[in-house]
Amino acid sequence: MTVEEQVRDIVAKITRVDKSIITRQSTFKEIKADSLDVVQALVAVEETFGIEIPDEEAQKFQNFGDFVSYVESRVAQEEKV
Amino acid sequence: MSLEGKLALVTGSGRGIGRAIALKLASQGADIIVNFFRHRDSAEQTAKDIEALGVKAEVIRANVGDPVKIDEMFDTIGNKFGRLDILISNAASGVGRPVVDIDVKAWEWTMDINARALLLCAQRAVKLMEGRGGKIVSISSLGSRFVLPNYTIVGVSKAALEALTRYLAIELAPQNICVNTVAASAVETEALKFYFKEGLVKDNRQATPAGRMVVPEDVANVVAFLCSEEAFMIRGQTIIVDGGTSAGLFTLAGKGE
Repeated sequence: MTVEEQVRDIVAKITRVDKSIITRQSTFKEIKADSLDVVQALVAVEETFGIEIPDEEAQKFQNFGDFVSYVESRVAQEEKV
Repeated sequence: MSLEGKLALVTGSGRGIGRAIALKLASQGADIIVNFFRHRDSAEQTAKDIEALGVKAEVIRANVGDPVKIDEMFDTIGNKFGRLDILISNAASGVGRPVVDIDVKAWEWTMDINARALLLCAQRAVKLMEGRGGKIVSISSLGSRFVLPNYTIVGVSKAALEALTRYLAIELAPQNICVNTVAASAVETEALKFYFKEGLVKDNRQATPAGRMVVPEDVANVVAFLCSEEAFMIRGQTIIVDGGTSAGLFTLAGKGE
């Protein structure tokens, strides 16, 4: 399972939307994610991948793709270490 | 008042009220465990500022809304220190919604972090206070007894916290553990800006009889007193720190100008 697939599963489970409608271009609003959903998704992703996502970074995410790209880069960094 | 040699855990102490409490207790000589969840940089800064006061600081990340994370945090404290003298249950969260829009997820999230965390942290803290006594202080808000816009879940969670404080105070009294809570009105913190945005709290700084907003240090001063031996006979109480706001109902309604 790729990072993107895992993050999509997490977001779909929390927002209870069909994961097939979540694309990299989807905004959190389009996925019907409210501020609590976003926090819960961040926490779940942090625990799944063993990373920390500072709120300052999370606030920059415009869409699902930004979220995935950030997680991918952090996971790649962790693997190098 | 000296807390020299005491060890205190302050949940949510990276910022705001928790940070002010951590610094106040440290200034009185206590070593501090700084707990945080979402803002590591702030927690590390709080720890640095604590150490600059000449006492020790330990940073532990844990979401106090998660029982497993609470257990892990206390396992770490138990293994590293083997004791705890003071528990400050301060970490809080909330979802601002009208009553009709509250769903189970928002309810559980808020209740778990704001109310259940005190129960679970106290249960673990008691074991580390065994034979030595201790102090448990939590942070509540005026929303536990007064209705604030979109504040339902947080207000109910704080009411639960205050009730739990009374039960803990009585049941833990034989173990020489003092339990109290401090309820503040809107406190000037980063979180307050969020609450304004969410419509949870109205800007009432002009309507406070004391003439200014409550600041984190106002809350920290009372918490520090409740952690002192001078407060030994105060048990199960909710001490209000609001500059007089709740004493005059017209001020609470925002008509005090």
